[in-house]
Amino acid sequence: MSYLEYTVKYTPAGPRKLLYLNWPVALLLAAVAAIGFLMLYSVAGGSFSPWAEPQMKRFGAGFVLMIIVAMVPIWFWRNVAAVAYGLSLVLLVAVELIGEVGMGAQRWIDLGFMRLQPSEVTKITLVMLLAAYYDWLPMKKVSHPLWVALPVFFVLLPTGLVLAQPDLGTALLLLAAGGGIMFLAGVHWAYFAAVITAGAGLIVAVFQSRGTSWQLLKDYQYRRIDTFLDPGQDPLDAGYHITQSKIALGSGGWSGKGFMQGTQSRLNFLPEKHTDFIFTTLAEEFGFVGAVSLLVLYTLIIVFCVISALNNRDRFSSLLTLGVALTFFLFFAVNMSMVMGLAPVVGVPLPLVSYGGSAMMVLMAAFGLMQSAHVHKPR
Amino acid sequence: MIRTPLRPLARILDARQKGENPDAIERENIRLRHEEMRDRARRRAEGRLLVLGLAFFCAFSVIGARMGHLAASEPAEPRASAAGAAIIAQRADIVDRRGRVLATNLDTYSLYAQPPQMIEPARAARELAQIFPDLNESDLLEDFTGKRKFLWIKKKLSPEQKQAVHDIGEPGLLFGPREMRLYPNGKLAAHILGGASFGREGVHAAEVIGVAGIEKQYDELLRDAARGGQPLELSLDLSVQAAAERVLHGGMRLMNAKGAAAVLMDVHTGEVISLVSLPDFDPNDRPRAPTEGNPSDSPLFNRAVQGVYELGSTFKIFAVAQAMELGLINPSTVIDTKGPLRWGKHRIRDFRNYGPELSATKVIVKSSNIGTARIAQMIGEERQQDFLRSIGMFEPTPLEIVEAAGGRPLLPPNWSELSTMTVSYGHGMSATPLHLAAGYAAIANGGMYVAPTVIKQDRPQYGPRVLSPDVAEASRQMLRKVVTEGTASFGDVPGYAVAGKTGTADKPKERGGGYYEDKVIATFASMFPAHDPKYVLVVTLDEPVETSGDEPRRTAGWTAVPVAAEMIRRVAPLLGLWPEIEPGNLADITLTSSE
Repeated sequence: MSYLEYTVKYTPAGPRKLLYLNWPVALLLAAVAAIGFLMLYSVAGGSFSPWAEPQMKRFGAGFVLMIIVAMVPIWFWRNVAAVAYGLSLVLLVAVELIGEVGMGAQRWIDLGFMRLQPSEVTKITLVMLLAAYYDWLPMKKVSHPLWVALPVFFVLLPTGLVLAQPDLGTALLLLAAGGGIMFLAGVHWAYFAAVITAGAGLIVAVFQSRGTSWQLLKDYQYRRIDTFLDPGQDPLDAGYHITQSKIALGSGGWSGKGFMQGTQSRLNFLPEKHTDFIFTTLAEEFGFVGAVSLLVLYTLIIVFCVISALNNRDRFSSLLTLGVALTFFLFFAVNMSMVMGLAPVVGVPLPLVSYGGSAMMVLMAAFGLMQSAHVHKPR
Repeated sequence: MIRTPLRPLARILDARQKGENPDAIERENIRLRHEEMRDRARRRAEGRLLVLGLAFFCAFSVIGARMGHLAASEPAEPRASAAGAAIIAQRADIVDRRGRVLATNLDTYSLYAQPPQMIEPARAARELAQIFPDLNESDLLEDFTGKRKFLWIKKKLSPEQKQAVHDIGEPGLLFGPREMRLYPNGKLAAHILGGASFGREGVHAAEVIGVAGIEKQYDELLRDAARGGQPLELSLDLSVQAAAERVLHGGMRLMNAKGAAAVLMDVHTGEVISLVSLPDFDPNDRPRAPTEGNPSDSPLFNRAVQGVYELGSTFKIFAVAQAMELGLINPSTVIDTKGPLRWGKHRIRDFRNYGPELSATKVIVKSSNIGTARIAQMIGEERQQDFLRSIGMFEPTPLEIVEAAGGRPLLPPNWSELSTMTVSYGHGMSATPLHLAAGYAAIANGGMYVAPTVIKQDRPQYGPRVLSPDVAEASRQMLRKVVTEGTASFGDVPGYAVAGKTGTADKPKERGGGYYEDKVIATFASMFPAHDPKYVLVVTLDEPVETSGDEPRRTAGWTAVPVAAEMIRRVAPLLGLWPEIEPGNLADITLTSSE
């Protein structure tokens, strides 16, 4: 169904669009980012350099980017969804090829003003493409095997490319986000049941095969799984991060040690203290209360997104908003689980809080799309 | 699903009759159908959303519950149970006998890079090359942009360097805490301390392991967390060690020697107060073991503990003392010293001809090889070996540094009567200066063997008795006469009544086949004060030549003795000894104030 088929009574135009932004979401994003600045300031030992200041500049740029993206009509974004997806695939391949000739193992592309990580960009373009696809696809064809196979292909293609980098964390996020949108779009539940059963079967097979002649994984891979299941076994090597961050969380207690008083992270026990493991600093310095407050902020962002999606009659807008919310949710859920030892360490940053430019810009652009859908919804 | 037709015939006809446009009906129906489809899709989507929302909720609950669980848990440091798995960073200090620090730890950082985390490898490489001039910018850039995921850049950083690297602000450059071993006194007591280096190395800590000397010998004890960082107290005295090193260094240069060793030992406790071996090294920057040349000329080689030398005439007192102990002679027994003494095709000569006969005391004072050999013949092979074994001359010294085990004395392969005669004046058998010091300590303390040690002791550590007190006393009087009227006249230090015996031995050629004519090991073994000795001092010079006279002089009396005397002059006050007047010569005393 095309956007034009709706009877639209009013659409804001010009600067008035600013008034129609989803301001609660924008303010919540700023609040979460502010917590990030605070933590980066603390981790650097009470200094704006080297992390807090660049992070603030990036967030400022990201916020402007969000508003610019939000000002562009949502139908434009729907029309370029396929192109954007194709472009991000080209970038993924390009970074692979350029990486071969020495551009670096870093998986970056230098755009001059910023460095772009194509795997990050793919996270939004995939959501855009799937939303546009299910917007275009007639409802009754949604569960037809052929029309299910096509989006599965769309998801698996970038996932495979990212997995080849190798970046297991991002690949899993892409897979989960793609699957989530297909689920929301109304693909028959039997497909999901089949996939989940197959996945569970595979896991059982992997464990059953250990030590037998048809062992599916290499020994060291089993050891990694063991370490995840019981980090205490190997507290100095593979289990080090988890053990130390658990100590940090535990020593924070209920109300924390106070701002700048955390020892576990500031005394260099955690090498990733400013990136993936920044949550431990928060939990140590502000305790359970601080950690739950951040969780509540994240939850509120998701809730506002879902409300916006439910109030939007346009299928593309609605699916896109939900897709952005889902991606955001996956980010912080995986990061927090990882830090707390509920999931293996896969290298997923804490959205808006962890130090790092690419992920922040991409996330702000994604929220720009969500804002655009909100501003231009049929009223 | 019941489909309503888009153009129901009845309504179309009805509309036509009324003159309305029937297409309007179709449009209306299409709109209704679309809205119906949309609503259905929406209901389904909302159902799906509910399911997903439920999944969200579960995830939140699990995370929240886990957070609460962790917040409520007692933070406990992980303890590695597997042996050798833990890297224990804290290493105990080593201090001297007065608690002054000889070895301690310094917190520092190592620098490593994780290129995948790097944002601006080119800038990082450039600025690193500025901070560390020894690093090459293009090499660094190659490492940072290559396939490597991890690389060490620097093992130790100074605080200034760490700050400078921190200021680059590159998240891919990371610091690992390190503890390094520091020897604040530099070269002082280097051969005892040995040295330490990094063992197994991780990002977060590195093991410091002893590689030589006391650090290696007591590696486990120093690393034992159960001792709670209690320092290891050595018997060394930092001030005495420093003075001894200065004097020996000067003496070695003055006597043109290529090496030197000195051992100062407490005769009652066996404590080594000072042990010097030159040339030496800085344990903070321990040189690599040389791959070519003679390893016993390397600075790492501990001449006092590892170096086995023919110690020459210093051994004579052992034969004389044993003969007195056995009742074969007394100090005034006349010994036949007519030379040369023929034994098969060998001849034993004296340095000078001292006449046809000498008293036992004179044999020592004049250092007569022939006289000593005659006495040794009286003792016989078996008893001589028993005595030398009892003063530790047959085994490596039990000193608590790993190098001590390498100082195994070289003994004659077949202990014939000729061996007995040559060993009695210190030829045909090699031992370390430390062996000699332990042997002299037994004479000095009244006849008890003491094992040398570098660990602080609080009471005398007497071993088995090897000489009766009377014999020890008689031997000391002989040794005192060596200084007052014999070969060691330069050894007299007023007020400290030095007693001792010189020894000059030609160096054996490395390839075998006899001895050098012009290369000697000059040794002076001494004790002071002679009437009640507290300390034994052995000074050994390797290839000394004293050139102030018309002819080069190499004998110990001209080389080792003055160095030892200077050392006693310098360290005796540090040891808390007052200069005193020897008892027994009361008639000679003149009080300076009465003049």
